[in-house]
Amino acid sequence: MNEKIILKKTSHGSFDDAANAALFLAVFVGIWQIVFMLGIWPKISLPSPLMVAESFVKIIWNHSLPVSIGVTLARLVTAFAVSIALGTLIGLAMIKFKGFGKTLSSFSAGLLSFPSIAWVPFSILLIGFNDFGILFVVVMSSIFSIMISTYSSIRNIPPIYLDAAKNMGAKGFYLFRHVTIPAATPSLIIGIRQAWSFAWHAIIGAEILMSIVGLGHILSVGRDFLDMGQVIASMITIFAIGLLVDRLLLFKLDERVRKKWGLDHHR
Amino acid sequence: MTKLQAKNIVKHFDHNGNSILALDGINLNVEEGDFICIVGPSGCGKSTFLNIVAGLEKPDSGEILLNGNLITTPGPDRTMVFQEGALFPWLKVIDNVEFGLKMAGIPKDERRQISERYLDMMQLAKFTDSYTYQLSTGMKQRVAIARALAMDPEILLMDEPFAALDSQTRDLLLVELQLIWERTKKTIIFVTHNISESVILGNRVVVFKNRPSKIKKEFVIDYRRPRLAEDENLQKYYHQILEELKSEVMAHIKDENL
Repeated sequence: MNEKIILKKTSHGSFDDAANAALFLAVFVGIWQIVFMLGIWPKISLPSPLMVAESFVKIIWNHSLPVSIGVTLARLVTAFAVSIALGTLIGLAMIKFKGFGKTLSSFSAGLLSFPSIAWVPFSILLIGFNDFGILFVVVMSSIFSIMISTYSSIRNIPPIYLDAAKNMGAKGFYLFRHVTIPAATPSLIIGIRQAWSFAWHAIIGAEILMSIVGLGHILSVGRDFLDMGQVIASMITIFAIGLLVDRLLLFKLDERVRKKWGLDHHR
Repeated sequence: MTKLQAKNIVKHFDHNGNSILALDGINLNVEEGDFICIVGPSGCGKSTFLNIVAGLEKPDSGEILLNGNLITTPGPDRTMVFQEGALFPWLKVIDNVEFGLKMAGIPKDERRQISERYLDMMQLAKFTDSYTYQLSTGMKQRVAIARALAMDPEILLMDEPFAALDSQTRDLLLVELQLIWERTKKTIIFVTHNISESVILGNRVVVFKNRPSKIKKEFVIDYRRPRLAEDENLQKYYHQILEELKSEVMAHIKDENL
């Protein structure tokens, strides 16, 4: 009975959400069109929605958009995988070796807020003007989130879960696999979402400055050829991918865990 | 037969850099099938004593013997029911109950059978596939008891398991627990600050002194079961224990105001 009501409410809610989003989009494009028609900026600085749509068709037709998306996502996924693997390992080491963990976590504020673009000159000189240089920038921009969130998520597990598990005979890897990891999961997911957004910032920045393919690159080509249509089309693509990945993947994951734990139960 | 022996257990707390003597030589013999209630003022170290029996904390000196063997680590032979239940929110009710059994390497079918039996006993058969947030506090505590019993421990340790419950639920569980004790013949150590709870449940009630804690007095409650909360004949035991405890609670309040 209860479940039915909740189900109805959410499905109704998501329909409302979609309608609201469509309305918002329509208003936005409308205002854009009006500003365009007022002629405050020359066409080359501010094209109309339709002209941007034409640019979209053009860069899809000449394959530069699909290729760019593919290249950027491949880089991103590679770098992000490295970030998660290394960041988790270092985070675990921080827990195992307490002094190391304490020192590193006290640097965390600086490491977390360090701008990703600031890694670019360092990376160009150290590694070079290539894919590995870009991967380096992305890894450095996202790994600290993973490290710090692994460290703090595990440290913040209520001790009673561990006591209860030990009390029933759990220890070693079993304890880690069946209690530590699941107990830390809601907080780990938040860290992963944050790391993903840092990685996404970093790759576009790095590609603008040090790549000859990718979404950041076509953005920068648009600027070089004074092609505002292509610039805006690239920006919309970047926005859409960021939104889709967060909503369809990370947010869904977060929501699933929160629902299972009953974290939104009273809200 | 002596099930568990606590020999001269001493334990210090670390409080803001100061070492405070919490347990000053606890000696206790628990016989097979005993239902022992430990009462004492809050902060007297009764939960610490239970944690030491569970192996979750180590005493500074003294030892715990279970069936004559020295205890140093936690183990499923002494399962604990914690105050807040300590169920795992990422697992369904049935998987919570099966957790320790899985750890012990018991095959899946048998695990399920055991868990369902204890959930049945706790009248939770309908909730096997629920997540813990969907349960009331009283139901959670019943799951926690089922989880502890499913391990078939030598001793069941209970750390104020009913403290967070409303009084109706508590009264029901007080009766249920007595029935379970009679049916399973388990040895139980039950820590509480609630005197009436201890009188209803215990066949022995042990009163802890305020810090540094020792055993002040022990009462044997020889009265028919199941005992009900409203039974007036239990009042005389209640008053005897209250008399012992009063001065300790006063001493504790004095300590806190210092």
